[in-house]
Amino acid sequence: MVASRQSKKRFLALSLVLLAWVLAIVLRLFGLQVLGYTTYMAKIRAQTNRVEELHSKRGTITDRHGEILAISLQSKSAFISNKDAAQSLNVLQRFCQRLPLPGVQRAAIARRIRRGDKFVWLKRKLTDEEYLRVRPLAEDAATAGAVDFLDEYRRVYPQGTLAAHVLGGVGIDEQALGGVETSLDPEIKGRGGRLKVLVDARKRIFQFRYLQQPVPGRDVHLSLSAPLQFIVERELAAAVAAHGAAGGAVIMLDSRSGEVLAMASCPSYDPEAIWNTAPAVLRNKAISFLYDPGSTFKVVLAASALEHRACGRQETFDCHGGVFAVRNLRITDVHPYARLSFDDIIVQSSNIGAAQVGLRLGGERYYDTIRRFGFGRRTGILLPAEENGILHPPADWSGVSLAFLSFGYEIAVTPLQMAVAFNVPASGGLRLRPLILRDEARPPEERALAAGCSEQLAEIMSAVVRRGTGTKAAIEGLEIAGKTGTAHKVKTGRYAGSYVSSFGGFFPAADPRLTLFVIIDEPEGLHFGGDVAAPLFRAIAEKAMLHLGIVPAGPAEGGVRL
Amino acid sequence: MMRRRGRSVLRLAVLAFFIFLVLFTYSGLNLMNVDLGYRQHEQLRQEARLRLEIDALRAQRAELLSLERIERVAREELGYQYPQPGQIVRIAEADDGR
Repeated sequence: MVASRQSKKRFLALSLVLLAWVLAIVLRLFGLQVLGYTTYMAKIRAQTNRVEELHSKRGTITDRHGEILAISLQSKSAFISNKDAAQSLNVLQRFCQRLPLPGVQRAAIARRIRRGDKFVWLKRKLTDEEYLRVRPLAEDAATAGAVDFLDEYRRVYPQGTLAAHVLGGVGIDEQALGGVETSLDPEIKGRGGRLKVLVDARKRIFQFRYLQQPVPGRDVHLSLSAPLQFIVERELAAAVAAHGAAGGAVIMLDSRSGEVLAMASCPSYDPEAIWNTAPAVLRNKAISFLYDPGSTFKVVLAASALEHRACGRQETFDCHGGVFAVRNLRITDVHPYARLSFDDIIVQSSNIGAAQVGLRLGGERYYDTIRRFGFGRRTGILLPAEENGILHPPADWSGVSLAFLSFGYEIAVTPLQMAVAFNVPASGGLRLRPLILRDEARPPEERALAAGCSEQLAEIMSAVVRRGTGTKAAIEGLEIAGKTGTAHKVKTGRYAGSYVSSFGGFFPAADPRLTLFVIIDEPEGLHFGGDVAAPLFRAIAEKAMLHLGIVPAGPAEGGVRL
Repeated sequence: MMRRRGRSVLRLAVLAFFIFLVLFTYSGLNLMNVDLGYRQHEQLRQEARLRLEIDALRAQRAELLSLERIERVAREELGYQYPQPGQIVRIAEADDGR
């Protein structure tokens, strides 16, 4: 009986202890789950929730055949977490042993470390090979924690300098610095995103949600053809070197569509080192080089004269034996002629004859044609820094303006404007806006010249290459229509003793496929367009036609020899 | 009396079974959900890695196929020269289509 009472007491005591324990747990849980809910949830969220920034990747730029011209690749950027200056300087020294940095850069990093900056870049956008060399530093016990890497995108131009002026380039933070990288930047760069993730104790993500969806940059397909661009750049560089010229530019258009197949400017540069390039070199001469076109502009004069029936093609003009005066200004011809027909004025490139035709034509009619050919305004190509050119309205012309404008002075043009103008007779009289993108919306065609006139103009231009000033552009079996040009350069407001040599044309003349315009800036020695620019035109044309499978006409038996 | 008691125990047991079943199913689904989260993220990471790898390979291919490099190799390593005029002969296609 006594034993039973004792055991009851023990049971009661044990029950009370257990009850107190349970109560303590319940109270603790209440404290944690209810009273401290906000605090502890915040702590848990801080440990498990994370917002990750998703960097946008710039779109890839390809040529018309899909060959990559620019692409963004992920790369590592090395930095120092500067907690202890002495250790950080030691890290810097060991980093430089593996990957030497320029003295100035190294000194700047050391200065930032000593200043106490907590985050100091060592080198950004390492190549794979560089990363492999410095990666052990992040694993080495002596340097681990002080040096680390971040993922960034690095813009790569795998074709080197090819189409540098069209592509432009980007800066260290992928900001556009020229070319289509700038003009199409809003589409190419895309938009970064934000991802909310839940991580476990091992930092593995087990749940995620997009706070902002990343928008990848749009891939861009240019109208350029890499092989043609390569041919153009190589031949241009060779011609500039051969003539000791200051530079040059070439534009190649698809005669039927106006698509730019190649656009080169010399000197060129490496788009991956754009920030290290002189501004003068960065300038795309094809769209921003302003010059007086000289005799190549006689094509526009001839077009206007044919359109307005100012004279007959066989009508002759007095060329005054090579010297002619308009008001008090002298106009001369390189080769003196007594009389020349309208066709031969263009074929032999007589300035005096052109001035006579211009004076017959009249300012208003000529100005109207010049405007319709697209001068005095941008062509509208999707590239930055395109120049308008300079064209004054007839009301602002002096007494000699019309005569001088007839052979390409008192007007400033860009090589691209000239290429577009030369494409008018090639496209049956249409002025086609030059397109730099493969899928670019085609604007409505503008007729600059009646179809019949454009055929006649092409005939005259063919004669220029066959028997006129452009014979050095001729290719056996292939009819080329073209026009030479040599113009004095304007320096500090005056015509100087240096020249711009140019040649524009298209081929095959009967069914044009390519329109090509070339300029050589300040050639030394020979400076006539027919001697300097025409051979360059030929060098490009003969290689381009092989590439495009344009076969010259030849003897029926034994095949065609190129 | 005994039978009635046995029946209520059985009812309780069935109820407890269903409660546990629901609890286990709920926990199982939660675990599965977390596991799927891991796998989904892993797949996404793998996809991103593969895309980067593809980009790197495409860039490498473009670099190897760059015309400047091909010309250098052709001229310097293989000793090729640009054909002289007349060296390229295009034979006219035969009339019978051969």
